[in-house]
Amino acid sequence: MLDLVNLTKVYKGGKQAVTDLTMRLEPGMIGLLGPNGAGKSSLMRIASTVTRPTSGQVLFHGEDAVAKPNALRRSLGYLPQDFGVYPNLTSREFLRYLAAAKGVSAKSAKARIDELLELVNLTEAVKRPLGKYSGGMLRRVGIAQVLLADPQVIIVDEPTAGLDPEERVRFRNLLSDLAADKVVMLSTHIVSDVESVASDIAVMAGGRLRRRGTPEDLLRSVSGQVWEMLVDPASVPTVQARYTVSRLVRTTEGVRVRLLSPQSPHQDAVQLTPDLEDAYLAIIRGSAEGPDPRGFGERPFPARAV
Amino acid sequence: MRMLTGLAVADFRDRVRRPAYAVILASAVALGYVAVPDSDAKWMIMQIGDHRGTYNSAYVGMVTALASGLWITLGGFYVVRNSIERDRSTRVGQLLAATPLRTSAYMVGKFLSNLMLLSSMLAVLAVTALVMQLARGESHDIDLIALWQPFVLIALPLVALTAAFALLFESLPLLRTGLGNILWFCVWMVVSTAGQGPGLPLDGIGVNSVVRSMYADMVAQGIDVGGSFSLGLTYLDKPLGLFTWDGFTPTADYALGRAALLLIAVVIAVLPALWFHRFDPARGRPSLARVPAQSQTEDLVQPAFIDEVGPHQGSPRPTVATLLRTRPDPGAVTLRLWAGEVRILLQGVRWWWWTGAAFLTFSALASPEIHGIVRVMLPLSWIWPILIWSRLGTQRHEYHVDGMLGAYPSVRRRILAEWAAGLTVTVVAGIGPFIRLVAAADWLGLAGWAGGALFIPSLALALGTLSRTHRLFQAVYLPLWYSVANGLPIFDFMGALRDSSELAAAQPSVTLAVSAALMAVVFMTGALRRFSRD
Repeated sequence: MLDLVNLTKVYKGGKQAVTDLTMRLEPGMIGLLGPNGAGKSSLMRIASTVTRPTSGQVLFHGEDAVAKPNALRRSLGYLPQDFGVYPNLTSREFLRYLAAAKGVSAKSAKARIDELLELVNLTEAVKRPLGKYSGGMLRRVGIAQVLLADPQVIIVDEPTAGLDPEERVRFRNLLSDLAADKVVMLSTHIVSDVESVASDIAVMAGGRLRRRGTPEDLLRSVSGQVWEMLVDPASVPTVQARYTVSRLVRTTEGVRVRLLSPQSPHQDAVQLTPDLEDAYLAIIRGSAEGPDPRGFGERPFPARAV
Repeated sequence: MRMLTGLAVADFRDRVRRPAYAVILASAVALGYVAVPDSDAKWMIMQIGDHRGTYNSAYVGMVTALASGLWITLGGFYVVRNSIERDRSTRVGQLLAATPLRTSAYMVGKFLSNLMLLSSMLAVLAVTALVMQLARGESHDIDLIALWQPFVLIALPLVALTAAFALLFESLPLLRTGLGNILWFCVWMVVSTAGQGPGLPLDGIGVNSVVRSMYADMVAQGIDVGGSFSLGLTYLDKPLGLFTWDGFTPTADYALGRAALLLIAVVIAVLPALWFHRFDPARGRPSLARVPAQSQTEDLVQPAFIDEVGPHQGSPRPTVATLLRTRPDPGAVTLRLWAGEVRILLQGVRWWWWTGAAFLTFSALASPEIHGIVRVMLPLSWIWPILIWSRLGTQRHEYHVDGMLGAYPSVRRRILAEWAAGLTVTVVAGIGPFIRLVAAADWLGLAGWAGGALFIPSLALALGTLSRTHRLFQAVYLPLWYSVANGLPIFDFMGALRDSSELAAAQPSVTLAVSAALMAVVFMTGALRRFSRD
């Protein structure tokens, strides 16, 4: 449905945000994971026709969406990471304006907006100007505008930022429902946002696509590489220098360290079942191929079984 | 002290690294060129009767300093009146508020930054003056003290006052708005004309002593000094006669008066510390409704996994399909887009604006004769919505809606709808004179009115789209309108001067052509910006 072909984005000043990235998007949810500066937002903006790529193609049903963006724009719901609203309009007035901009007829827009306001739980605040909304409520207005024209493609950039835990869960459920028959592309650097709902995960770093696969594929890639052990607090820097550490928990007996290593890091280390955060860190830090040689030292560290 | 200079220098650096700064400096060079025209030119900035001074260092320095002092006082105000606003919108203000920096020091820092920016324009003009003296070639003796002394004595105090007043206006809720921009224009008008007179405290804007010195030199050279002193852009029918003026030695009183102005500027700049709220949202105006980007610090912490506990425990969770039953059909949107743009344009307009507009309309309808309606009521009707027009082309950017709308279709249709909203406001504001012109079957007047109605929103949309700020339109439209109100026919875009102007017949077609060109600028800017941003 939406093909991103050999996309490269170089900004003025030479910063290369996206490098030769190719991705085919079909109905279902793809979670785009990556650290800040990985190029996720640039890729989202290109895919949503807001920014033009330096080279490469965006094809929507085989049509060039860079040269002729309107076809994609009519079928697109896009929620940028950082957006504003007109503060003196109510949510209904704002959505009516956006519905007109999308080309939705007056009659269907009216009913659709009422349904959307109910969906995002804003019916009670509908008479208040947007300037009096909280950050979470504004985010919900943004989500409502995504669904105005029943889009085939939904692109949401860091959508759960500013939402409280309950809203975050509700929004994930919403996207999960939508992904049944639409392309839903969600970018985040919060692993838990995608691990429960995305059937397809792409990991970006340094502007490149580092890995793409199902959550199971990603978990398999670090199978047998996740360990936990208890170490002396003074040894923590040494451990961190040697291995990719995914979690540290200070206890009365020492520091419990969860780390990635192809071999057992210590005789007392216990092998664990990997989770998606381990896989993500392994991909980002390249530790799936082995421990970082930069950190290897000869000095042993005291460790015990957990 | 280090904090203060650090703040001022950082603020100044941030401003000069913006592309607009290059435009500001280019404007300063252009002003320097206009101030010292060729002997065949049809304009002059400063003259005494039918004479001007020979272009030696003293005269070129004085005329350039006076021109810059006056014009930077007007234009410079609009350039620097966003120093606090930038700290608010970038949220740097909240970081500064949490430092030990005193509010008075913050104000002085901002004042110094304003002063540095405006002084850099003065510096460019001072160098331009030197180049212009050499270029005109009427005197090759370069006296740098005589050339640059007027910049220090006359222009710098005016610029310092401008920097201080810009800060004062920004700190007061009412003057922070476009109303402050209009008020400054009025203040500038009064000060720049009345400030030239004799016997004013601190010698007014400092011109009077200079003029007396010039008169004295003309008398000594046996030149008739019957004509009056004129400062400002003037059209010339014939070339001016010449006299030689070698400058003047400022008296101690004069120099102290100029220093006192600098001191007054500092006091005015520090004054807002008494009421400035240090970016406390609880005391200041509410911030723009904007969903902030996720902060960098959030990246440091990965939240714990949350169980899927929705609000509908115990009952099946409603799916999107069950809630969204209406299928959005495509349909006609032109009228609704226009209505939406009108709503956006008029958002937050207060009752007093409507009352004023209604009063002007009824006054136009009740006026006894058509000449007065066109000459007085029409210009009044078309200055009233200036703050609303200045929103055109800026609001999407100002409220950060452009990131979202960038992925929406029908870009050109939305631009046209925004222009149509501006046209609607223009028509509504000018409806009183329109009805009277129709009733009087004054077809030339109606054509002029139509030209103005098309021109104003086009100008506002073009300047707003180019600059993305309200201020450029306000700074351009006010002098333009003022020239019409003062009877200068060449800028008569609304047909207000048709009774006394030879250009009246051509005005409607000219304004139509200019409007079309301005709209082309709007569309091209949008397209070029997209490529440029890419």
